[in-house]
Amino acid sequence: MCAIVLQDVNKYYYLQHQKTLKEVLQAFILQKKTIDSIHAVKNLSFSIKRGEVVGIIGKNGAGKSTLLKLIAGVSKPSSGTVQLNGRLAPLIELGAGFHPELSGRENIYLNGIILGLTEQEVTERFDDIVAFAEIRDFIDMPVKNYSSGMYVRLAFSVAVATQPEILLVDEVLSVGDLSFQKKCMQRMESFRKNGTTIVLVSHDLGTVESFCERTIIIDHGLKVFDGNAREGVSLFRERFL
Amino acid sequence: MKLLELYRYRELIKHLVLREIKGRYKQSFIGFFWILLNPLFQMLIMSFVFSFVIRTGQLSVPFPIFVFVGLLPWTLFSNSLSSGVNILVDNASLIRKIYFPREILLIATLIAKLVDFAIASMIFIAMMLYYQIPFTWYMLLFVPILLVQTVFTFGLALVLSALNLLYRDVQYMFQLILSLWFYLTPIVYSVDFFPEQYRWIFQINPMSVFINAYRQVLLGGDVFNIPAILLGGGIALVMFFISYGLFKKMEGIVADVV
Ligand SMILES: Nc1ncnc2c1ncn2[C@@H]1O[C@H](COP(=O)(O)OP(=O)(O)OP(=O)(O)O)[C@@H](O)[C@H]1O
Ligand SMILES: [Mg+2]
Repeated sequence: MCAIVLQDVNKYYYLQHQKTLKEVLQAFILQKKTIDSIHAVKNLSFSIKRGEVVGIIGKNGAGKSTLLKLIAGVSKPSSGTVQLNGRLAPLIELGAGFHPELSGRENIYLNGIILGLTEQEVTERFDDIVAFAEIRDFIDMPVKNYSSGMYVRLAFSVAVATQPEILLVDEVLSVGDLSFQKKCMQRMESFRKNGTTIVLVSHDLGTVESFCERTIIIDHGLKVFDGNAREGVSLFRERFL
Repeated sequence: MKLLELYRYRELIKHLVLREIKGRYKQSFIGFFWILLNPLFQMLIMSFVFSFVIRTGQLSVPFPIFVFVGLLPWTLFSNSLSSGVNILVDNASLIRKIYFPREILLIATLIAKLVDFAIASMIFIAMMLYYQIPFTWYMLLFVPILLVQTVFTFGLALVLSALNLLYRDVQYMFQLILSLWFYLTPIVYSVDFFPEQYRWIFQINPMSVFINAYRQVLLGGDVFNIPAILLGGGIALVMFFISYGLFKKMEGIVADVV
């Protein structure tokens, strides 16, 4: 049984040069180009089995975050299909979907509910979430005033509290301090033991090598390697560093 | 069917609605009374000013309550769209990181505005008692009108919020349109004041059709113009499904452009 299946997935981003109707009109009159596109993910196909732990590596701008957004359903592929089986918790680009103006408390509820918990369940787990994140003193402060580490702590705590079957993690851990990173790795380790599917994007090759069993290397939107983590990481070290 | 997916997100809708309402009433009493005071003062000022301009003697009901029955649904419409047009931009940070059907944000805000509307309607009841206008069963016919108005508003909000994402000045343009639209809607005046040759303006303006219908059932002790509301409802529904389709097409790139 596969948790994630991608088939011939392509993603184009369209860059809109004009943000207002006036600019559109000007561009139209001057015959300027109005749209450029970026082919961020190219013909990607792979499947990830339930309980697999996969590391995704690649250089800046390779398309890793785009790939996670496609898996999370935040962004839809231009062509191809993405299939998911199981409850998902995404941590994309330094954090979950938090509303900057709302307090930490309110964001815990909002996020927990979006991720599929009931209000009741969030209330039950609230103390655990706050305790794990270690941000009790800041819980009623708007999250826009959080440091990036605090933000990520909260994001990670909410995500794990929903007990997802699929966990997507995009470079989140790098901004936490060492003790929090360690705590997160322990938590992910126990998730792995419980059979949670984990997709981890990281520039920390050591973590990928030790934590993941499988690695996918993305380069300029293309999948250039898919296989054993150790082999993948050493290939990456040779070819891309 | 996409609409059924929404049922799964009922907890989220509930939470968003409560958040919006609580946020407004958190400043204790003032917040609550603001919902009442705002339309009340508008009504008082309008009926004072326009009673000198308009031949209010031709109306069968006192001018203030005549104005208020137009003002309430208009306020609902205009508040819903003003917050609807910005809803995707306002929630950008949420949208970029996590998936949920984006129309939920709109639904929640529309429901919250309906709650405000219900609260402000208490003033209407007070006015009915004050002017000793009899309550009739016909008044319940306001429900289907409100339903059609809501479908119409939702459809429009879907299109506007999506357009505003692509071109951020849509919100400003729409504010302008809204203020002009107000004057072309019979809120402080009656359609009957106009010569026959101009009345088509009010027949193609859905808000005018709704407000006339509200007045008929609430103040006139009468049935609304059934063909007009049926036609309005049909058009609103078709528009809604087209808008919904467009919105859902846009949804895949919403996160890319916010
Ligand atoms: N919302 C967007 N609109 C337009 N282009 C985008 C958008 N997001 C990403 N891109 C482009 O898509 C390509 C892939 O970006 P992506 O963020 O997926 O890279 P990444 O592999 O996550 O890089 P990093 O290691 O720096 O996080 C880049 O060229 C980027 O400019
Ligand atoms: Mg990235």
